[in-house]
Amino acid sequence: MRLNKLSAYTLNALWLLNPFLLLIALFNEKLKLGIYLEWLGKMHPLFLHFPIVLGTLIGIYFIVDKKNSIDEKNVHAILVGNAFLSSMVAILGIFLSKQDSYDEQLIFLHQWGGVAIAFISWGLIYLQKSQIFKNKYNYRVQFSMVYLLVIIIFTHKGAQLTHGANVINFPQKEVANELQAVKVVTDSNATLYVKAVEPILQQKCVGCHGADKVKGELLLNTPANILKGGKDGNILSFDKDKESMLFERIHLDITHKKHMPPEGKTQLTTEEVAILSRWIKAGGDFKVKMRELAKTDSLFLFANKYTPVDNTKVIGKTGLPDLKEYNSSYCTVNYLFNGSDAIDVNFFQRNFYSQAVLKKLENVKDQIIRLNMQSMPLTSEDINIISQFNNVENINLNYTSLDLKAIEPLKQLKKLKYLSICGIKFSEAELNSFLKGATFSKINVWSNVNNQAQLEKLAAQYPKIKFTIGDNLENELFKINVPTIDQDSSIITRFLDVKIKHLLNGVTIRYTTDGADPDSATSPVYKNTLRLTRNTNLKVKVFKPGWLSSDIVQRNFYKSEIHPDSIYLVSSPDKKYLGDGAKTLVDLELGGSNFTNKKWLGYKDTTMKFIVDFKQPQLLHQAFLNSLIDVGGYVFPIVSIAVEGSDDGVKYKKISETKFPTITQKDVMRDIKTFTYIFPNNTTYKHYRFTVLNLKKLPVWHPGKGTPAWIFIDELFLN
Amino acid sequence: MNEFLEHGLNQNRRKFLSKLSLGIGGLALGSLVAPGLFNAANEDDLFANVLPHFAPKAKRIIYLFQNGAPSQLDLFDYKPLLQKMHGSELPASIRMGQRLTGMTANQAKFPLAGTKFNFSQHGSSGAWFSETLPHLATMADDMCIVKTIYTEAINHDPALTFFQTGSQVGNRPSMGSWISYGLGSENKNLPAFCVLLSKGKGNGQGVYSKLWNNGFLDSIHQGVQFSSGEEPVKYLTDPEFIKRGDKRAILDEIAALNQESYKEIGDPEIVTKIQQYELSYRMQMAVPEITSLQNEPESIVKMYGPECLVPGTYAANCLLARKLSENGVRFVQLYHQGWDTHGNLPSELEGQCKDVDQSSAALIKDLKQRGLLDETLVIWGGEFGRTNYCQGALTKDNYGRDHHPKCFTIWMAGGGVKPGVHGETDDFGYNINSLPVHVHDFHATVMHLMGIRHEEFTYKHLGRRYRLTDVSGNVINDLIS
Repeated sequence: MRLNKLSAYTLNALWLLNPFLLLIALFNEKLKLGIYLEWLGKMHPLFLHFPIVLGTLIGIYFIVDKKNSIDEKNVHAILVGNAFLSSMVAILGIFLSKQDSYDEQLIFLHQWGGVAIAFISWGLIYLQKSQIFKNKYNYRVQFSMVYLLVIIIFTHKGAQLTHGANVINFPQKEVANELQAVKVVTDSNATLYVKAVEPILQQKCVGCHGADKVKGELLLNTPANILKGGKDGNILSFDKDKESMLFERIHLDITHKKHMPPEGKTQLTTEEVAILSRWIKAGGDFKVKMRELAKTDSLFLFANKYTPVDNTKVIGKTGLPDLKEYNSSYCTVNYLFNGSDAIDVNFFQRNFYSQAVLKKLENVKDQIIRLNMQSMPLTSEDINIISQFNNVENINLNYTSLDLKAIEPLKQLKKLKYLSICGIKFSEAELNSFLKGATFSKINVWSNVNNQAQLEKLAAQYPKIKFTIGDNLENELFKINVPTIDQDSSIITRFLDVKIKHLLNGVTIRYTTDGADPDSATSPVYKNTLRLTRNTNLKVKVFKPGWLSSDIVQRNFYKSEIHPDSIYLVSSPDKKYLGDGAKTLVDLELGGSNFTNKKWLGYKDTTMKFIVDFKQPQLLHQAFLNSLIDVGGYVFPIVSIAVEGSDDGVKYKKISETKFPTITQKDVMRDIKTFTYIFPNNTTYKHYRFTVLNLKKLPVWHPGKGTPAWIFIDELFLN
Repeated sequence: MNEFLEHGLNQNRRKFLSKLSLGIGGLALGSLVAPGLFNAANEDDLFANVLPHFAPKAKRIIYLFQNGAPSQLDLFDYKPLLQKMHGSELPASIRMGQRLTGMTANQAKFPLAGTKFNFSQHGSSGAWFSETLPHLATMADDMCIVKTIYTEAINHDPALTFFQTGSQVGNRPSMGSWISYGLGSENKNLPAFCVLLSKGKGNGQGVYSKLWNNGFLDSIHQGVQFSSGEEPVKYLTDPEFIKRGDKRAILDEIAALNQESYKEIGDPEIVTKIQQYELSYRMQMAVPEITSLQNEPESIVKMYGPECLVPGTYAANCLLARKLSENGVRFVQLYHQGWDTHGNLPSELEGQCKDVDQSSAALIKDLKQRGLLDETLVIWGGEFGRTNYCQGALTKDNYGRDHHPKCFTIWMAGGGVKPGVHGETDDFGYNINSLPVHVHDFHATVMHLMGIRHEEFTYKHLGRRYRLTDVSGNVINDLIS
């Protein structure tokens, strides 16, 4: 009876344990265990053999006992016990797996094998009662076989985890070919020493065996010093029979008092030990280049794959607090990297600065190594808080509107190496008194110190400090950039207001409207707006003391006084460049530099002809045709404009023809140009017919010689 | 059979459900050991705890992308042999059957074109600079010039996409998006990834928003394109009658509604939307302060050149990039168009250099004088290089160059790179002699500088894990100081 009760309870417990097992197996990576569960995990090896033995026996029993000779109840109790033990062991196993780093693939297989065993064992309890299992012996055998196999294979993975992959191999000499898979990349010119040896020494040794601190009279910072050795003699031995001291020291047991680096300091990784010892064994050569080593040499392979990584930024704090509470929209507080206890702090947005945020950081003050407070509105009170951040190495106080006196307390920070105070104003005397007794090694003083002479003086005075200064360009002459003429239209109807803009403060903008170049003395100064009322060639130039004056910008503005009552094209433009028909010529909109934009009329094979109509006879003085030139694109200047007049619209009488010079190879290749036609005095007609001639044969120097040239016209202005 | 046992084993529906409640208890127990298991997974948090993998050398990146591929042979990779052999045919032993673009594949001849520009050496490394880059030449000692980058693509779009996303086919997240996803924003009031565009007068190639797309990452990691007008971020100012407090109330209400629908539908994009509204609310305060260039002192204007006050120019973008970066934007991406010099290279190149030389140099100088260069990685380069032979007709002082993926030059500065000249190309400037750096290697190296192990920085999408470096890439130690 008691047994029955116990197995019923256990059966219920399985409903709790197994989902729990499944869950922790699925989310293994996210588990965070306390010390009790970790301790429980250590029980895994203690219990694991029970379910293996029980499970194996059960499997064998189901195969052997064809006639179900044992009492069902007893088998049931054993099955329940087996299932319970399987689940427990699997759970403990997962707890254990979190405590050390194991081969990922093995642990994966072992874990899920364990889960499978737990679930199959659980299922067996119910299967045993089913009719199929009782009566169909074949199924039972097959199932049991599978069960046995699962137990054997996956528990063996566990054995491999603890005892190594070759746990049941026949003893054999092991062949090491650990690095065959490493891909060969390099061809570099670097020496092996510079590439792999020096960085290791720099990171792990020079802290105590370097210029700042010389333990055991040994310096490891340069090849010469390494060869010199220390108090106990040479550290590299070139004698085959004698082990190098460097080799010995790094291989001693960590508890040995001569082990290097000493216990408590950041230790060499296995990879680093491999590189150093192989290098020493190969003769400790400082000159051999990477490319001179055999590509299959294990020293080459190790060194080639080696990338020095800075993991030394650790102060030695344990139990890393969650930094969430210190973070806000205007202050980010983060660990330097995953696993580091060193903290990096950045403040942003001057208007939202609050001292309370800084004050709160006192809780983690020993962990802060980098502090960026650029442009925060700081007071000496803030500096007093900061001066308690004992381990801070790098402080940025650029543009903080403090003075040197206010930041004096920062000199108490013995770990401070790097201080940036750009934009803080000070006199030479103030700087001198600030730097007296300062221990930092690098300082940024741009905007106060900005010339070489000052820098050299400082460098001579404070040889231990590296100064970074800025360029002093205030007295150097640079050319101002051109202004922008802020008016999209180039056509003056009655008048046109033009604005001229320049973004540099304190400039003088001068302009001319008569085609002459603006000068700094006589040309009118641009004030607010410029009102243009007639054809204007506007030239603008910008002046400012301490600068070279700008290039000239020029723009043409066209007066279009008289607007015809109607206009129509006699000859049609090329199909590709129809524009908006005749309207294009009088829409008061220029086409810009791109002739494919439908604001241009293009002619090549036909000659351009159009008629301008007025309801009443109209007196005309000038006509302007705005045209594009792009020699590379076969677009040439207009050859001539001929105009005829008529009052009845039927009979036209020739008025006159104006011819324009052709261009030569040396002329501008791309331009927008206005061609002017002047009417003879008192020309008054109701209808005017224009004939605009293009170049019918391109000159010999042009790639398209012999073929007709294009003309492109976008606007007609009549005055 | 024993009644008690019978009872215990009797599995009807009720029984099953009640047992199941025990199962749920098990799950609940599980959630105690795995905290946060049933909370909505926030990808940001996921990586925030893991990255950086180690102490980063660079905290921020400014990538000055020279869109269209500048000619390395006329800027950095000086090859006197080409000048000597000007006009003679490219030897087949050098070309080695390298594929060509459709533009020159049918050319009967491949006459070598020596550069028209004078070169001189600068800095302690003796780096060669062409006379078109007088300002950058003065910064030689800060520059890590890599002459041996190579890529797989030979046309602009795939090559650009490859450089930006690590894949020639455009559906992956951009470099900036990866960085935003991995490291998050330093300054919560600005996007982690900003994009600035400008255009030179040279032959241009388009840039498309797919280049700064978030791909399969959350859309919060998409690059925010600043417009080149006087208002860099559009629609940021509130209408007059809306007070800031009202705005806050409106956003809170909308966020509450969005939370409701997130609970109902569970689409993570809803959460993204809430975050985006919050970000833009904070940007309303931060952006105008940062983007106003007119408060810059005159010495800075002189340094970048006065063009830097004209919105939309490369110089203005460089200055803006410094300001954004200084204020904690992780990744500022510039694109300057107009480097596609198939013809008229000498005059087009000169114009392009005039656009970028002074302000690129000023950016390095400016970061340096503020003490920011150590932690800011500046990258300058195009999507591939240009051929040593001429495209089209070769004359004494005019030539063009086609696309050349097999070697080209980019430079980096600050952020833990090793100044100097790295890698050698052959005397024809056609093949790599030493230190080949594939685009994947370049990405791996940049990630390394940011404290990221590129092989472990992945995102699972459509059943596989993706990385910026796809399935290859090695950190090139020679480039790291």
